[in-house]
Amino acid sequence: MKIKTVLFFCFCFVLFAFQLATEKPFVVPKGWPKPTYDFSKNPLNENTIELGRTLFYEPMLSRNNIVSCASCHSQYTAFTHVDHALSHGIEDKIGTRNSPALINLAWQQFFMWDGAVNHLDVQALAPIANPVEMDENISNVVKITTLKTLPNAFLQAFGDSVVTGEHTLKALSQFMLTLVSHNSKYDSVMRKEAVFTSQENNGYLLFKKNCASCHTEPLFTNNEFKSNGLPIDTTLNDYGRFGITKNAKDSLKFKVPSLRNIEFSYPYMHDGRFKKLSEVLKHYTTGALHNQALSKELQNPIVLNANERVDIVAFLLTLTDRSFLFNPNFSYPKNLFSTQRRIKKSSASITLTNIIKNEL
Amino acid sequence: MKKFRFVVFFIFSLIQFVSAQSDSTITVSFVAHYNGKNVDLSDSSFVANDSNHLQIDALRFYVSNICFLKNGTVVLPEKNSFHLIDASNKNSQTLSIKNTNKINFDELSFSLGIDSTTNVSGAMGADLDPTKGMYWTWQSGYINFKLEGKSNNCPTRNHAFEFHLGGYQTPFNCLKTATLKTTNQKIIIVVFDINQFLSVVDLSTLNQIMSPSKTAVLLSEQAIKSFKIIDP
Repeated sequence: MKIKTVLFFCFCFVLFAFQLATEKPFVVPKGWPKPTYDFSKNPLNENTIELGRTLFYEPMLSRNNIVSCASCHSQYTAFTHVDHALSHGIEDKIGTRNSPALINLAWQQFFMWDGAVNHLDVQALAPIANPVEMDENISNVVKITTLKTLPNAFLQAFGDSVVTGEHTLKALSQFMLTLVSHNSKYDSVMRKEAVFTSQENNGYLLFKKNCASCHTEPLFTNNEFKSNGLPIDTTLNDYGRFGITKNAKDSLKFKVPSLRNIEFSYPYMHDGRFKKLSEVLKHYTTGALHNQALSKELQNPIVLNANERVDIVAFLLTLTDRSFLFNPNFSYPKNLFSTQRRIKKSSASITLTNIIKNEL
Repeated sequence: MKKFRFVVFFIFSLIQFVSAQSDSTITVSFVAHYNGKNVDLSDSSFVANDSNHLQIDALRFYVSNICFLKNGTVVLPEKNSFHLIDASNKNSQTLSIKNTNKINFDELSFSLGIDSTTNVSGAMGADLDPTKGMYWTWQSGYINFKLEGKSNNCPTRNHAFEFHLGGYQTPFNCLKTATLKTTNQKIIIVVFDINQFLSVVDLSTLNQIMSPSKTAVLLSEQAIKSFKIIDP
């Protein structure tokens, strides 16, 4: 009889454990293409997303426990680092590129300006290891995470309390995959819930004529690598994609970035050389170098007068998505500060060593 | 009747037990040699007694897609075949492969490194976990093969050399496959001959490879040629 009771409780516990991991299917906005990310290999669930979010804001991922992913990817600036042409990391060391905005990553095949990273899961390895970003290695991250935080969080996220590199990275992916921006004014207009002003509308028409071949709707990128005629900065000598493929055809090519939330993601270009959108438009109309490397889309000069450029900027501002920039689900998990935290839908409380007090 | 059933059951179990015991497992061991000596890095570096004071500090490589062949046809492929072999970790060097149907074979085939599909499929676990130190961070991709050491021939700092071979994209795909004859059906010992690998390397000029390149491909070809099967 006793054994039966024990078995019954075991059964209840297992059932309960399954309930903890609430699956959260990824929602593709209406009319959008199929995501590139293979969700079958890393199905989203609330606990894993929450774990990924905690790790994203976790400064222990850096050597000196100060720099987190969010240091260079701040939500309020569309998950990028503003105000600096080249982003800075650990001990104020300055990198060689402008950090990219983290938006709609489920549709991206390559990451980094030069596509050095081939999958979202392995993206985090690069900034963690980079000596001017977080200067740590994933083995240490796993050790520290095992020792100091969240063993139950891994159990609830993956059904296994052992912290591994794979699970750490997959949790980070899950959080980043939820960073979908699809509620800008532009989206409302497309859904016929709002209308453009006549200036925005004129900007939209000009945009479709001159810019959309690379910044293709609805993601506002074609996810390709292009040379856009920027003169090379001889202090950096950054040849972009060429550094990865060693193929001369890829010289000076950089990934076409999405333009969503561009109002907040300044400065612009891989080296952050332009502070304002008006400078970007000036570059495309008068500044692009017409050399061999220049992408075919830009071979015919873009002709826009000053008013037309202003109209295009007015349109670009309709790509701002406040429900994305201020979404509380993406922001700093305040429970990081408490010594006891709860994972959603779980009655089991999870002890998180207070990382602020117990710095290594 | 009951007794009869019991006896049948007993005999059946015995057969099962015996057949399981009669060892349907193939043991494949990977070891490294230098001048015929076993290179075991479990406790310390290996120092060769030669004029250049060659020292081996690390030797790690991925063996994948292990298959057994008969007359040139694959008769027994290992499922989910990814193994990190580490000269400093004895446990990693011996693999057990089930041969339940006791299939006969005359060749062993394996790849040195990780295939391109796996390379673009995101975070992996077990031996493929990026914490194993065999994954590049600045550019995605597995490091197929690592050989690190010192030699007086190297004009580098501390006379160190470092060969990290990898790359999955053409034209720098470093995945190479070896197919080796074997007579033994139970215990197979595969030797990686460091002499042979280094025989094409002039350490005074070639001592640092840490990214996919043409040289990495050439060295990967040399590495795969440096495997041979010896009698147990």
